[in-house]
Amino acid sequence: MNRSTPKPNEGAGLWLYKIIAGLLVVVVLGIHFVVNHMVAPEGLLSYADVVRYYQNPAVVWMEVFFLVVVVSHSLVGLRSIILDLNPPQRIIGVMNVVLLVVGSGAVIYGVWLALEIASRGSSL
Amino acid sequence: MPNQPSASRFMRWFDPRFRQPGTWAFILNRITALGLTLYLAMHLVMLGKLAQGPEAYDSFIALAKTPVIKFGELLVIAAGFIHGINGIRIALTSFGIGVRYQKQLFWIGLALSVVATAIFGYYMFFIA
Amino acid sequence: MSTERWTVNFLVSRKIGDTKAHLESFKIEVDPDEYVLDGVERIWAFHDRSLTFRHACHHSTCGACGMLVNGVEKLTCITTIRSVTHNGGTLKVEPLRNFPVVSDLVVDMGLFYTRMDEVKASQVVPVNNSTLPYETVEFPADGIEHERLADCIECGCCISACPVALTTDSYYGPAVLAGAHQTESILKDGQAFNLVDHADGIWRCHSGFECSAVCPSNVDPAWRIMDLRRRVIGHRIKQFFGKK
Ligand code: SF4
Ligand code: SF4
Ligand code: FES
Repeated sequence: MNRSTPKPNEGAGLWLYKIIAGLLVVVVLGIHFVVNHMVAPEGLLSYADVVRYYQNPAVVWMEVFFLVVVVSHSLVGLRSIILDLNPPQRIIGVMNVVLLVVGSGAVIYGVWLALEIASRGSSL
Repeated sequence: MPNQPSASRFMRWFDPRFRQPGTWAFILNRITALGLTLYLAMHLVMLGKLAQGPEAYDSFIALAKTPVIKFGELLVIAAGFIHGINGIRIALTSFGIGVRYQKQLFWIGLALSVVATAIFGYYMFFIA
Repeated sequence: MSTERWTVNFLVSRKIGDTKAHLESFKIEVDPDEYVLDGVERIWAFHDRSLTFRHACHHSTCGACGMLVNGVEKLTCITTIRSVTHNGGTLKVEPLRNFPVVSDLVVDMGLFYTRMDEVKASQVVPVNNSTLPYETVEFPADGIEHERLADCIECGCCISACPVALTTDSYYGPAVLAGAHQTESILKDGQAFNLVDHADGIWRCHSGFECSAVCPSNVDPAWRIMDLRRRVIGHRIKQFFGKK
């Protein structure tokens, strides 16, 4: 009988984070949706609209916060799906690194983008 | 020995036959999770067009207004509602709230998702 | 029992040694109010003595006769033929899923039983800890400490139905987690929390509630898993703030 010992890979903490992040996504995405599809004429923001929108520091903060929450929720969720496949511990190690790199990469890129757009306000 | 658990049997996660609403919710949740993750990646890449200046972004937006892309977006919206509302159901039941009504919660959530998506679709295609 | 007679085509999964499992058809006459296990036994008695399957009690207590009946987990000694097919219909009987098949309808439950021991799931429990909190069962309050058999008969139906157990045998599975929940309700020492707070325990479950749907014995494993989650989170938060 092959008997694998339980792995602590996903405990109460990470699971709780996934749930809370998920609920936060619901809240912030609600705001995101309304702004992008209801307030903007034609349903989508034009370049100029986006830049104007990003002049409000609260918006920049909210978008960055949203980015962190949504990226982490999706990657922790993806990790859960992979854990369901019972990969060997070595693969789990590699996966953790890859997900961390992808996640931080996405967040850094997103923050750069948000700040870049915000900084273009003066050129309008 | 056959029949024992194996990672290669993961496609059967998505087999809704002989299953209960709880599993249908799980199937929907997993499919939408993968779809939304893919969308998130694409969304981030596409927003990179903003950095390339007004022309690049506005021509991209013009493309995004074609019916095919709009329909794709509506799918994303539907996925978002399904995943989000079912997520609330999972969160509640995981804290012991409404566990015995999980089936009803699933049907209510699905109905809400359909209605919300229809409203969004109507708005996107006929008003906006 | 009625005097009604039905002809039913039993499609029985056969597997001997290392051969690939295949379905063998046995057309037999049955009383529709007999149970699926009766049909399987009749096939063994009158058609093929080499057919292997497990059973003992014939009254839903030993938990040996769990099988897949027309794709759904059933305790075959209490599942009437009438409830799963019709006169002239077919009735597919296969071994439980997610366990290694030893032969025909017999599966190896060794790992499952080992885990039940690990979480100290006991067969005999004090009556007051034997039901689900949402059940309203009155037990005699005569000052005597009554005990009864635990609801879980270790039939494995829930594990067979669980989509997580489908892809990994490292997952403890519904019955084991439910067992841990029952243990905690009796011992109340928090030990069970440590046994299930990991990736192969309560966090792996994705709330499909399949286990509770097929459980023939009112254990409601999914309810217990959800309750464990709530309590483990509470326990960890308390620990975090230094209360033990
Ligand atoms: S609720 Fe959890 S334990 Fe029960 S069948 Fe679904 S995944 Fe398995
Ligand atoms: S929890 Fe129910 S289905 Fe699972 S082994 Fe126990 S009695 Fe059988
Ligand atoms: S034969 Fe004992 S439970 Fe069915």
